Amino acid sequence: MLRKQRDVLSVEWIKLELIRTAYATRGGMFSRRDPRAVLVWYLIMAFVPWFTHNVTVLAVLFVIAAIGVFLARVGPLVLGLFIIGIGFEIFYLILVSLMFGGNLGTLAALGVVNLKLGIISMASMAAFVSLDPEKLSDALLAFKMPELFAFGVSYGYRMLPIMVEEFNTVFDGFRLRMAPPEKRGFLGWRTVVHWAKMAILSFYPIFLNTAKNVRTTVEALETRGFTYATVDGRGRSIRLGQMRMGTVDWLLLVVTVALVVGAFAAGQAWPLYR
Amino acid sequence: MSAIIEVSNLSFRYPGAEVDTLRNVNLTIERGDFVAIVGGNGSGKTTLCKTFNGLVPHYWSGDFAGSVHVDGVDTFTSSVAALSAKVGYVYQDFQNQLVRPTVRDEISFGPINFGHPDHVARTAEVITSLGLEDLAGRFTWQLSGGQAHTTALAAVLALRPEILVVDEPVAELDPARAHDIYQRLRWLNEELGLTIITIEHHAEFIAQYANSVVLMSYGAPVWHLPVDEAVNRTDELARHGIPAPQVIQVGRGAGLGQVPRDIPSAVSALQAAGVTARDLPRPPVSRPATDVVATARGVRHSYRSVGGNLHTALDGIDLDLHAGDRVALVGGNGSGKTTLLKLLSGILVAREGDVTVDGINTRTKSPGKLAGTTSYIYQHPQQMLLKDSVRSDVALFPSGRRMDGWQELVEQVIERVNLSEFAERDGRTLSGGQQRRATLAIGLAMRPRVLLLDEPTSSLDVASREGVTAMLADLSDAISCAVVATHDMHLVADWANRVIVLEQGRVAADVEPRELFAQPELLARVRLVPPQVAELGLALGLEQPPLNVVELLECLQVRERVSC
Amino acid sequence: MTNDYQRAGSLRTSGSGAPELRTPQKLMVFVLSMALFGLANIILEIIPDVTIGPVDISVAYFVFVPLAMVALFSPFWAALGAPLGEIVFVDLLMGDFSGLSEVEGYLQMFLALYIAGSLIRNPRSRTQIWLGAILVVVIDKFLSAIVDLAKVWLALEDPEYVEGLPESILFLEGIGFGVDIVMSGILFGAIPAMWLIPALHGKIEPLLGMRPRVPGEPIPGQAPRTGWFVAVAVLLSIAAAFFAFIEAWDLNVGEWEPDFLDQFGMNFLWVSVGAIVVVLGLAYLAYRAGRKRDGESQARLQAEADEAVALAERERREESIHS
Repeated sequence: MLRKQRDVLSVEWIKLELIRTAYATRGGMFSRRDPRAVLVWYLIMAFVPWFTHNVTVLAVLFVIAAIGVFLARVGPLVLGLFIIGIGFEIFYLILVSLMFGGNLGTLAALGVVNLKLGIISMASMAAFVSLDPEKLSDALLAFKMPELFAFGVSYGYRMLPIMVEEFNTVFDGFRLRMAPPEKRGFLGWRTVVHWAKMAILSFYPIFLNTAKNVRTTVEALETRGFTYATVDGRGRSIRLGQMRMGTVDWLLLVVTVALVVGAFAAGQAWPLYR
Repeated sequence: MSAIIEVSNLSFRYPGAEVDTLRNVNLTIERGDFVAIVGGNGSGKTTLCKTFNGLVPHYWSGDFAGSVHVDGVDTFTSSVAALSAKVGYVYQDFQNQLVRPTVRDEISFGPINFGHPDHVARTAEVITSLGLEDLAGRFTWQLSGGQAHTTALAAVLALRPEILVVDEPVAELDPARAHDIYQRLRWLNEELGLTIITIEHHAEFIAQYANSVVLMSYGAPVWHLPVDEAVNRTDELARHGIPAPQVIQVGRGAGLGQVPRDIPSAVSALQAAGVTARDLPRPPVSRPATDVVATARGVRHSYRSVGGNLHTALDGIDLDLHAGDRVALVGGNGSGKTTLLKLLSGILVAREGDVTVDGINTRTKSPGKLAGTTSYIYQHPQQMLLKDSVRSDVALFPSGRRMDGWQELVEQVIERVNLSEFAERDGRTLSGGQQRRATLAIGLAMRPRVLLLDEPTSSLDVASREGVTAMLADLSDAISCAVVATHDMHLVADWANRVIVLEQGRVAADVEPRELFAQPELLARVRLVPPQVAELGLALGLEQPPLNVVELLECLQVRERVSC
Repeated sequence: MTNDYQRAGSLRTSGSGAPELRTPQKLMVFVLSMALFGLANIILEIIPDVTIGPVDISVAYFVFVPLAMVALFSPFWAALGAPLGEIVFVDLLMGDFSGLSEVEGYLQMFLALYIAGSLIRNPRSRTQIWLGAILVVVIDKFLSAIVDLAKVWLALEDPEYVEGLPESILFLEGIGFGVDIVMSGILFGAIPAMWLIPALHGKIEPLLGMRPRVPGEPIPGQAPRTGWFVAVAVLLSIAAAFFAFIEAWDLNVGEWEPDFLDQFGMNFLWVSVGAIVVVLGLAYLAYRAGRKRDGESQARLQAEADEAVALAERERREESIHS
């Protein structure tokens, strides 16, 4: 087979997808909202499903969450992993209940649980994929999360592309220089072991290289008043003062609450359990 | 002028270290000065600079004796936060200094943390004065090296420091961009009155931009002199691993006493001394060019950007590389050098066109299988040092493939790059030059026909740079063809017998080094800075630019010759 | 090798002596731990899981990565950073944030790492590394296994429960626990850690401006072995379990018995929430109380530490003479 440059399902593609996801470069409705409104939206969507077992309500909530995902323009990698996850889950459930003599009732029951988990997953996809690290860390600060956590979020996002790139380079180095197994073994187990070994070995240089990078970063943070700001509150209030809840932000929350109430009303009218 | 930094009897030892890194430093830096701190690797330059903003001793706990006063404040009793308002620091690996996602946010980070109510004004002011308007909304990982450096600088300037420390700006940038950075520093120094301190290996930059020079050796300053005097202490500088700028070397060789630092005044000084230049016959370098080892036919390649569009890296490359070729691949950042090397190594395959190495189309074999035929050496050694000792890194390839007599091969290769005494050490603990030689050994132990090197001399001091160049020159028996992507025109002049100039993914020229330096307009277009001797030779009226100091001296007719 | 820890005198500050962490050093350990564990998780996220039959033969996490951090640096700060890395890099970024169970996961992982890291007194001891790696998985997974088994138990209370499910959950849970110990604890825990931790020891610490741990020396930020810490740890684990229960509650009670839920469901939730608040409050009080009494034990620990350092240094000197 001849090698070709591929644009999809390659390491390069994964890297780009991660960046696009992390920085919300696709735009979308939620990325223009005040981050606090987005987080509150998420909280509503994540908590409400736990308060009901009415399939009608859950179905309506599922549709709301799906609309959220659509409006947020979630990218193919994240969506793909989500769908694969759900797919595996369903497959797995069928298998388990068949093996242990379950019946359709079991499936339906577990299906409802998956419906709930699906709503929450979609809500978190829509919300967190739309928040770039800056907005997310500001919103976390606004909700009184510790400074260290808020910083961890924005720094983690910033480092991610660099670290994935670095890991890729080091891993490639092993692929180039370490001899692959001569035989693939049963189900290619030798190859699997070889890859796992390379992934583990890659961490030695990654630890040392990252430690060196982190040193510079933390020194730079120190000189630019990061620790100072955690003691002195003025920086925090400036950051929080920059956020504005606009009409559309309030509208988003009001519409969501209305839809959720509507969902419960529909559930009252046409209740359906299991 | 008043003193802004006063260091007295300063000694410092890192925790767990066995010797003091700084030993009884006494130094005064005047307000408004432009100081270059020079010295070999490990002479304590960076540590000294970290005492100015209090990172030593407030951040790096260690044994600290003596005192440092910055603008009258004793750093020992002050804090890093307080000192940051006075001293800004731009790191050598400035990419890691950027901590926020966007450029604007990066710049406002400091002022907001310190709770300055005028943070908006400060940010805007710095953005305008450094011309970053177009970049303000960009994500920091999208920036090129030069842009990232400017952003790091801007972020530091937003705190309105009086002193700016810049650690080796040239290390990670191409020379033209490095000159841009230096011009900006000069502007900050002259227009805004900032005191600038740079750590620098390159005598040319020192001679051109600094006002005074501090020479560091074994943790203490040897002297602190005005730049004119400093650059003329050629022997002393050379002993500390900083050969004088070529202009000075030529002037000395031609018997001038005090030599001017820049080319136009050097020309007039030489002419005033009655020195004239005449061309000597220079036969073209011999290249056998018979045995083809690698070809590229109609190669086009592009990358997908975050936005989803294709960004062209190579646009129709046709090349033949022959046995005996020592190719220098030159061009500005983003001209496609690294992509071409990766295609030649088989790590990447082109979107269009074919690359063959030693008769093998790279599409037909996996990179792992090609590694023994063509090997690629990364720019950053830490990306190639995968194991915990140099020996095991070198042995990784030959031992895994059970090459015949690999033990001897490994020893031989390590011997060849002069690393025998360090073979058991972790590569990362070695100096920059030793790390490069270790990566070279890794490449050689793969016994390739084609060896590809990415920027093998960047961020090295001049002595280590020459060591690596000499080692490359010595390899002709081990490999049949070497391709080096580089910004280092000294390497091009000293080593290459063929130069391929890339410009926006196309071959702009395929010439000998001498021919390249004879075309100043081409060089300027692709943002290359030729060696000073070549420029000086042309300025003195030579047709064929000399490649090194000796060649230029041969061309000069002087009343009395002084050996240099 | 010469020894210069005795050096002192008219210096203004000294880096040797009791290994005390400064704020930026804590920050470095925290950030490094977060970044590395986050990277490890994102790699796992991209690799598809292998499912053989009903049993998921997947690697839960690369335990050796955070284990190396807690074994080499301050266990407290490293353990605090690592699970955050997972949340930031994988859950938030990939939009896979599942709310309450993240809190549960964070607390469990933090406790597991903190305790395991404090246990490793000598980063070069293979036995201790093995113990540490397995302990992380056991502590972390044991808590979730308890929750899952409780589900089965609750389901058994109900005569109309679905046929075949409890056995399967019990069976799968048992296998899952075993698989996790083998895959995460040993194959991707103890075995790589046994190589990685000694290889990094003495090399990575100077990069962060710290002195490598000397075997036997008290570790900065280690888990104190006092009653109050045990109390805090137990209370935190109970809190973590309750977080899990809020989610699990729905699975085992709600789904199978809607009527029951209609009557008690809401109260059930509030009871759980109340329990979390009470338990966390108790944990905080125990922590405060422990902190006060800490002073006395500090002096004793210090004396022990000095002795240990002297001993270790003597050993090191002898080693260098012999080699």
